[in-house]
Amino acid sequence: MGEAIVITSGKGGVGKTTSSANLGTALALQGKKVCLVDTDIGLRNLDVILGLENRIIYDLVDVIEGRCRIQQALVKDKRFEDRLFLLPAAQTTDKNAVTPEQMKDLITELKRDYDYILIDCPAGIEQGYKNAVADRAIVVTTPEISAVRDADRIIGLLEAEDIEPPKLIINRIRRNLINSGDTLDVNDITSHLSIDLLGIVLDDENVISSSNKGEPVVMDPNNPAALGYRNIARRILGESVPLMSVDTGKPGFFGKLKSLFSK
Amino acid sequence: MSKQQVVTIKGTKDGLILRLDDQCAYSDLLEELGKKAQDPGLEGAVEVQIHTGSRYCSDQAAKEIIQIVQSAGHLRVSKIQSDVITMEECNRRVQEQQSETYIGIVRSGQEVHAKGDLVVIGDVNPNGHVSAAGSIYILGRLKGKAHAGNAGNREAVIAASWLEATHLMIADQMETMTDELAILSEHPEMECAYLHTNGFIAIDRLQDLRLLRPGLSTFKGGS
Repeated sequence: MGEAIVITSGKGGVGKTTSSANLGTALALQGKKVCLVDTDIGLRNLDVILGLENRIIYDLVDVIEGRCRIQQALVKDKRFEDRLFLLPAAQTTDKNAVTPEQMKDLITELKRDYDYILIDCPAGIEQGYKNAVADRAIVVTTPEISAVRDADRIIGLLEAEDIEPPKLIINRIRRNLINSGDTLDVNDITSHLSIDLLGIVLDDENVISSSNKGEPVVMDPNNPAALGYRNIARRILGESVPLMSVDTGKPGFFGKLKSLFSK
Repeated sequence: MSKQQVVTIKGTKDGLILRLDDQCAYSDLLEELGKKAQDPGLEGAVEVQIHTGSRYCSDQAAKEIIQIVQSAGHLRVSKIQSDVITMEECNRRVQEQQSETYIGIVRSGQEVHAKGDLVVIGDVNPNGHVSAAGSIYILGRLKGKAHAGNAGNREAVIAASWLEATHLMIADQMETMTDELAILSEHPEMECAYLHTNGFIAIDRLQDLRLLRPGLSTFKGGS
């Protein structure tokens, strides 16, 4: 029996879809069987980030309305043998095409075959029902005051549901802004929201370029953002991984010396 | 059977007290009350209190009694006192006296209301809203909106470990904290907001509350 995890945020554009794709990939890299479910009906893009867009034949609404079986709609990511699948959202209809009960049945069925089901949610609060189908929830925010306020609202709604207390991912942390004190730091955000921090992800240009290529950045082991996602995946699996340090700080004495000679 | 007096008049240093018998019929009572009120022995304007004993007096009955007593012109009823109240009234009073405790964080978009005092153990985040008919005490950061004395109690206060609210309301007075916020965040000590005699909301150290609102104390005993 697998575990369903909903990935949500209040504000749009904080990186829910990118986080879903990368966490799914990272869990598959760890040898788990993962199914990603895109519930952003009408505005799907999880398939694009995974590079599976042109392999979609059926979608979530087709399954719900009985036009195909679940297995037919699931798109396999060939890079991970039999470990990573995507259930794409429909692009032709809208968010109201699926009822909470239908969603619950679908997730229950998927839980039989997969270790982890990651549910990528649309932004906003009106489809709160999708939260109720999961076992636990991950809230994604960025270190911006507007995103943190909206995360607070979502956490309030999640706490009213019958699921485990939500966990937090702080995405797109910019080292230089934190070091100069011009943005909220990790402690400010966690003490304001007072929920457990699942991990932080540093901002990196390669996240965008690799998403455009359809390869989640987490596949590159040397990327700092990838490291953040890999650490989060390991924490989801129950390992205790120390939080990586945001502060690269200024170069030390030897660093300065080195840079002097390397000029 | 000799007719017993159902209305007795008693003089005290605070004025006259009309003590009404609580066993006789209500109609007999009104009749005798009418006669007593017309008593020519009473002169000038006199304030009277009415004690109804164990007779429950509805609002309408109380009005009727006041009307009869004052009809003669020289008596004025200062108050009606009764030894009994309805269960409803009793429950309402108990609720107003009680303090309700909320443990957790009042997050953006959430509202917590209390009929009496409210104790919040946790933070009130921006856009969170707490309100109470009595006072509000917050063990944590108040960063949202708080409305104390929402039924009109001007004695109510708002106290918090960290008072960084965006809006403070006491009874019908509201204060947006735009200018104060910078000052308050420099003084993170425990603070309380109360309605100053000048009609505006003032903020002071929590330690001064015992001087500002001694009536809030319900503690009895100790030494």
